[in-house]
Amino acid sequence: MKSKTGMYSLIASIVSSIVIVAVFFALALLKNSSMAIPLYTNVDIMAGMIFVFILSMIVSASIWPGIIEKRLK
Amino acid sequence: MKETIGIFGMTCMHCHKRVTDAISKVNGVKSVEVSLENKSATVEFDDSVTNLNAIKQAVTDAGYDAGEKTISKSEPVAQQSVQVCPVVIEDDKKTVEKPVTKQKSGASTTITLKISGMTCAACAQNIEKVTRKLNGVISSTVNVSIEKASITYDPSLVTQKDIENAIVGIGYGVVKDKITFDIGGMTCGACAANIEKVLKKHKGVESVAVNFSLAKAHVEYDTTLVSVADMISAIEGIGYTASRKVDKKESEDRERKAREDEIKKQRINLIIAVVLGIPISFGDMASAFPNFLGFVPSFLTNDKVLFILTTIVMLFPGRQFFVGTYKGLKHGVTDMNLLIATGTGSAYIVSVAATFLDLGPGYDMTYYDTAALLIAFIVLGRYLEATTKGKTSEAIRKLMGLQAKTARIIVDGVEKEVPVEDVAVGDIVVMRPGEKLPVDGVVTEGLSAVDESMITGESIPVEKNPGDTVIGSTINKSGSFRFRATKVGSDTALAQIIELVENAQTSKAPIQKIADVVAGHFILAVHVISLLAFFFWFFIGFEMFGVGGSEMFAGISPFLFALLISITVLVISCPCAVGLATPAAIMVGTGKGAENGILIKGGESLEMAHKINTIVFDKTGTLTRGEPQLTDVIQTAKHPEEEVLRMAAIAEKGSEHPLGEAIVKGAAARNIEVPDAGSFKAIPGHGVEAGFSGKRILLGTRKLMADNGIDVTHLNASMEKMENEGKTAMLIGVDKEAIGIVAVADTLKEHSKEAVDRLHKMGIEVVMITGDNKRTASAIAKQVGIDRVLAEVLPEDKANEIKKLQAEGKIVAMVGDGINDAPALTQSDVGIAMGAGTDVAMESAGIVLIKNNLLDVVASIRLSKLTMNKIKQNLFWAFGYNTIGIPIAAGVLYPFVHTILVTPALAAAFMALSSLSVTGNTLLMKRSRIK
Repeated sequence: MKSKTGMYSLIASIVSSIVIVAVFFALALLKNSSMAIPLYTNVDIMAGMIFVFILSMIVSASIWPGIIEKRLK
Repeated sequence: MKETIGIFGMTCMHCHKRVTDAISKVNGVKSVEVSLENKSATVEFDDSVTNLNAIKQAVTDAGYDAGEKTISKSEPVAQQSVQVCPVVIEDDKKTVEKPVTKQKSGASTTITLKISGMTCAACAQNIEKVTRKLNGVISSTVNVSIEKASITYDPSLVTQKDIENAIVGIGYGVVKDKITFDIGGMTCGACAANIEKVLKKHKGVESVAVNFSLAKAHVEYDTTLVSVADMISAIEGIGYTASRKVDKKESEDRERKAREDEIKKQRINLIIAVVLGIPISFGDMASAFPNFLGFVPSFLTNDKVLFILTTIVMLFPGRQFFVGTYKGLKHGVTDMNLLIATGTGSAYIVSVAATFLDLGPGYDMTYYDTAALLIAFIVLGRYLEATTKGKTSEAIRKLMGLQAKTARIIVDGVEKEVPVEDVAVGDIVVMRPGEKLPVDGVVTEGLSAVDESMITGESIPVEKNPGDTVIGSTINKSGSFRFRATKVGSDTALAQIIELVENAQTSKAPIQKIADVVAGHFILAVHVISLLAFFFWFFIGFEMFGVGGSEMFAGISPFLFALLISITVLVISCPCAVGLATPAAIMVGTGKGAENGILIKGGESLEMAHKINTIVFDKTGTLTRGEPQLTDVIQTAKHPEEEVLRMAAIAEKGSEHPLGEAIVKGAAARNIEVPDAGSFKAIPGHGVEAGFSGKRILLGTRKLMADNGIDVTHLNASMEKMENEGKTAMLIGVDKEAIGIVAVADTLKEHSKEAVDRLHKMGIEVVMITGDNKRTASAIAKQVGIDRVLAEVLPEDKANEIKKLQAEGKIVAMVGDGINDAPALTQSDVGIAMGAGTDVAMESAGIVLIKNNLLDVVASIRLSKLTMNKIKQNLFWAFGYNTIGIPIAAGVLYPFVHTILVTPALAAAFMALSSLSVTGNTLLMKRSRIK
C-alpha cells in the first residue's frame, strides 16, 4: 500500500502542478493579448512556469500523500 | 486514648485498607492511621467503650497479627520478603493463572501488558476482576510473579486503551516499553515533527516526543506490535539517523563531540561565506551604486568572476541546504532546508541565466549577492545556534559532573583503584577523607561525616556509622570508612535523578501542542503564501503599482520582481523559532529546578503548577517532622523541671514506644543523666510503671494516677492546656505524689510556617489533610497558619477529599510523603512529594522536592510561572515575528512605500536573529531567582 500511495501521490502532484502551470500560462497569454504592448516576454513566461511548477510540486507533494492514504484506507 | 500498635503481615495497600477497615469498625474507635511503612496502626479510641485487646482482636480477625509495640523502620527487610499476604481472595472460582473465558462476539486479540504496583495475589485478582467486567474482554489472566497480564478481547467492543484505563483506574500501572533514540540530521523543529509523524504511523507506538535541542526521541511503545528495528528503519527512511541511546557518559561524550564538530563545521562555512559574500555583494552592487562603491576593483564587477565566487559559496557553505532538501524530498518530508534551498537556488539560477544567456530586457541584472548573503546569514544563524544549543542542557552536564570517576575497592583483600563503572553490587568500597563516594551503599565499618549537600541540600555534613546508607557523588569529609555497594551504574540516586531530569526535558508541555500543529504545517503554508505572492505580483501588483517604472526597480522584469518577493517570503519565515519556543524553555526550567533540588518529572506538571490555587499539605512527615519530640516539662513547687524530666526518662528508658523514646531523647538533649530503672512494666492504654532507688514512678494518664490514688488537681489546668494544643501530655507520679507533666508532640518542620505564609501571599488557599483527630489537627494548623483543616480523613479517603476540592472548581496541588498519600498525589492536578518520603509517593508525584524543604513548594510554583512566562514570550515572539515578517516580505507595504522593505538577504538575517532571540530569551531564565 505504501508504494501505491507514493506512486499515486507523485502522479497527483505532477498533474496538479501541471494544471497550476497551465493556469499560469493561460493567464499570462490572456494578459499579454489584452494589452497593446505585451507585458511579459517569453523568458518571463517560461521562467515563471518553471518557478510555479517547482513551488506547486512542493506544495502538492506535501498535500496529496495524506489525502490518498485516507482514500486508500 | 491514643495508642500505636504493631501490625504484622501487611504487604500492600489492599492489606492497609483491610486493617484500617477492621479497626475502624470496632465500636469506640475514633480514628485510625495505619502505616504500611512502619507496620503500625495509631488508634484513637474511647477507653470507656473499647480497649486495646478488642482492637487487636479485630486486626487478628482480619488476618493479620497485632503486636505490643511499633516496629521500627530499621527492622530487617528480609522479614518482609518472607511474609505472605494474608488477604483471603473472596472470588475463589478461578486461580490467578487460570484464564477466564467469555462468549466471543467477534475476532479476538490477545495482548500482554506489563503491570506495575502489584504486591500480592489479591492485586492480581483485582485486575482480573476489573478487566473481566469490561464488555468485550474474553479472558484475563494476571501473573503476579512476572507482573504481566494476558488479556484476550474483542477489538470491536473494547480497545486496548479502555483495558489500560480500567487497570490504571484501580491504582495499578500499565508499564509501557520505553526507548530513547539518539537522532542525527535534524536541523529544525520541522524535522522533529516529521520524525514524530512517521513514528506515530506505526501501530503499537503509544507516544512520541522528539526533542530537537537534545537530538533525542523518546518513544513509548508496545513490543508486541512494533519493534525497535521497525522504528529505526522508519526514522532512517525519512533521511535521519537513529540509534538506541547508549550509556549516559558515552552518550554525553559523543554528544559533546558531535556538538563541537557541528560548531567547527559551521565556523568554517561561515568564514567561507563571509569572506566571499562581502566582495560578491560589493561587486554585484557596484554597478547600481557607482558613487558609493567606486573603490571596488573592476574585476569584481565582472559577472563571470561573481559567478565563480558565488558557485564556491553555493557548493561549500550552501551545500548542506541542498543535501538536506534532497534527503527530505526523497522521503516526502519538508523542512527548513527546503525554504533556504528554494530561495538561494532561485536567485542563483536566475543570475547564472542572466550571466550566460541573452534573456532580453529586464534580465541584465544578477542576484549573486542575494544568494551569497542569504547563505552567509543563514550559516551565521546556524553557527550561533550550534554554540548556544548546548547551553540549554547544561543542567544535565552539571549533574553528570558530580559523578566520581574512580573507586577504591577491596579485591582479594587488597585495595584496588578501578573505574567507577567496574564497581559491582556487594563490592566493599574504601573511602578516605576528602574523597567523593563513587556509588550508593551501606557503611560496614568506620565512622565519618559525609557532605550530602549536592543531593539533599543539607548543608551540615551527616554523621555516618556502620549500618547507615551513603549516597554516591557525596563527599566524605572527616574520617575513613568502608561501605558495601548496594546500587551502582544507572541505579544510583544520582543516576535516577539524571534520568528523571532527562525524561522531563524530553517530555512535552500541553502548550507545545499549539506550536507543534503550527510547526508541522508551517513550511507548507509558507510555500503556499510564496506561490500566491508570486501570482499576485506577476499578474496584478507589478502593473497596478507601476513597479517597472519605479526609481528603484526601473527596467526590472515582472518575473524577477515577483521572484524576489517570493524568495523573500520563503527566506524570512522561521519555523525554528516556533519549534524551539517551548522545548527550550522546558529544558532550562527543568534544569534550573534540578539545580535547586526540585525534580520536575514532565512538562505537564511544570505547566500546571503555576495554575494551582489550592495546596493540600499532608500533616505528618510533611508539615511536621513525623516523629514525636519532647515539647514541655511542667514542674511543681517542690520538684524542679530537671527532676521531673529525669524521673519521666527513667520510667521510659526501657520503653520502645515512640512517646517514651521522645522523652528519653529530650532528657539526653538537656544533658540529663538517666540511670536504668530497677523494674519496668507497661500498663497497656495507661502508661508505664518503673521502680528506681526504692521509689515507684508512674507515668501516664489521669486514670493511671487515679487508679493509684494520686491527686493531680493542681496539674489539671496545665494538662488541659497542652491537650488543647494537640500535645500528648503525661503525668508523673513518684510514690503517691504527682510531681509534674511531660508533653510530647509531633513538631513543625523548620520552614513549614514560612512556606504557608508565602503561599498565602501568593493568593493560594492552603489546606491541611490528616487522619488525626480535629483537636490535634487544629492545633498544628493554628501553629502553621492554615485556616482549612480536613481532619480524621482515612488514608483511602484522601484522594476523595482532593476530588471534592477539584469539584469546587479548584486546581489542587497535593504535598505528601507517605504511601497513604500516593492516591491523593495521583488524583491532584500537581502531586508534590518530599524527597525523604517513600518511593511510592515519589513515583506518584509530578514534582519531587529532594531537599525536603517546604519552601521548595513555593519555589516550584515560581519556577513554573517563570517557565510558562518564558514559553509565552517565546511563542509570542516566534508567532509575532512570522505574522509580521511574512506579510511585509510579501510586499503588503509596497503600495505605500513604493519599494520592498525587506530584501532576501535582509530576510535571511532576520530569520537567523529570530531563532537566536528565542534561544537567548530562554537562556535569560538562568539569571532569574526562584527562591
